[in-house]
Amino acid sequence: MAEKIIIKGRCEYPGKVRAEALVSPKPLEGFTNCNPRKGYTTERNHPLFKVPYNGKVMVYPLPRGSGGFMMYGSGPMKPAAFVHTEGCPLSVACAMVAHVPSMTDFERDPMEVIETGDIVFVNADEGYIEITKKD
Amino acid sequence: MPYLTDDEKRILQGEEGYVPQLCMQYLVEVCEVSGAERLIDLDGTGDFHTPTTSMSPFYEFSFEELKKLVDSGAHFKIPTFANKAPFFAVPPVDGWEDCNLCSYGDPEKMHCNPEFHREAMRDEWFELYRKMGMMTTHSCASYLTASYLPTMGQHCAWNESSAVPYCNANLGARTNIDGSFATCFLGKAAYYDMHITENRYATVEVRSERMISSDLEWDVFGFAVGEEVGVKVPVLTGTAKPNMTQIMKLNSGMNTSGAVRMYHIPGSTPEAHTLEEALGGRKPQRVAIIGEAELKRAYETLNFHTSDDVDMVYLGCPHLNIVDLMLLARKLEGKKCRVPLWIMSTPWLFDVAKKLGYLKIFKDAGASLMTGTCLAAMGGVPGGVRNLAVDSAKQSYYITGCYPDDDNRLQVCYGSQDDCIDAALTGKWRGEWR
Repeated sequence: MAEKIIIKGRCEYPGKVRAEALVSPKPLEGFTNCNPRKGYTTERNHPLFKVPYNGKVMVYPLPRGSGGFMMYGSGPMKPAAFVHTEGCPLSVACAMVAHVPSMTDFERDPMEVIETGDIVFVNADEGYIEITKKD
Repeated sequence: MPYLTDDEKRILQGEEGYVPQLCMQYLVEVCEVSGAERLIDLDGTGDFHTPTTSMSPFYEFSFEELKKLVDSGAHFKIPTFANKAPFFAVPPVDGWEDCNLCSYGDPEKMHCNPEFHREAMRDEWFELYRKMGMMTTHSCASYLTASYLPTMGQHCAWNESSAVPYCNANLGARTNIDGSFATCFLGKAAYYDMHITENRYATVEVRSERMISSDLEWDVFGFAVGEEVGVKVPVLTGTAKPNMTQIMKLNSGMNTSGAVRMYHIPGSTPEAHTLEEALGGRKPQRVAIIGEAELKRAYETLNFHTSDDVDMVYLGCPHLNIVDLMLLARKLEGKKCRVPLWIMSTPWLFDVAKKLGYLKIFKDAGASLMTGTCLAAMGGVPGGVRNLAVDSAKQSYYITGCYPDDDNRLQVCYGSQDDCIDAALTGKWRGEWR
């Protein structure tokens, strides 16, 4: 039986989705450093450089850079959900463009728990995420 | 659902028409996503990316709807300026004749083509916006030319990551990245983040071991601070007092590596005269030290080149202010560039630069003065350019994102403005961190 961890947080944009996590250890940046048609970051030196995020639960510590951060939500390739430790108006705008489940302000930092490949059930409607660790 | 006044409810119910209703729906969603409990009435200024009618595609409305609204005599509720040149091409407003650059890699769309330029300026929208009172500054740094700035404590709706801290930290006015048609038209914004006094105090102290004083040092320091604090509000100590150019560099650098909407420099920024005031009388959550190693690492991160042969030099991110242009003209007078040198400023300074004789000096030196945009906003560099020199952390870090493929990588030499001028005159990069 795979380990399951539940963490409560604040809903930014409602909805429920279960998908594989893609964890960005480094804050994400948009504008020209995001290609929404291909669905990956184009930021040089970034650990997720050209790693596709389409259909994943995008887990990241915080947004940074220009208002073009919203590119991560503007598709056509976009994450199934957003889970981030800290937010600011950049992540608000991104959630509003993406209209996919989005959560932040967790009682425990999801970056400490979630690894790429874990399955995450994002239940923004009820304010929690459920993490199933990969084998 | 946030608390709404009776007037706000009426707008939301559509009693004042379709566009006001859509704008109010947008603001309600901003509240719901951000956790804001209510709206705040704006009494400062605003700007937004034009000609888009909403930051979110779910709240956009058509040109025909805008025309109907304008015909009804509607105005923006607050003094409203246009952010950079019109989306989506973001063409140079002035100097486009020299801009031999394809819009987002499309060879059919050359910015120096008069037909494309005319189309890209989308003036039919701005005829309407001007009737509503918009002052079409077309700059990411509209505050450079706006002769009307918000004052301490006023609530604003600005829209540019590098301009937001100018409003918050340097003017003492209050904004998030709020600038949109909805906020400027209704004169309201979601009451959260930097609109709230409590959120404006520093929680992290960033101590500089070096007395940050040159333009390059401020740019590199800004990048290092943003990496260090992320979305937190820092109080910066151990630096000199920045001048206007250096503030612009600090603000854009911090908002390339981080998202620093607000900060304090005791003795320089207006909301805190002392470290204690900046921290709101509390202890910092942590103290970060930016030493020589951190600065050097930031400088090296901002350089991305193996060759020292420079193909092009770009200055003006953020857009250059009038003193920058004066100093640059002084440095270029009587010189001749070996490689293209593009200088970017704001449209409202173009005629000023012309009257003051700077435009002629630039032209005689073989440099091009353009306004209203930047290379990254236009989606790339001119064909054949493989190594670009810049003096801006922001431009350095964003422009390479346009060239992610191994067979088409762009190199960037990053350093001081003097290093860049030297590269423009010699075609060689000789910059180094000192």
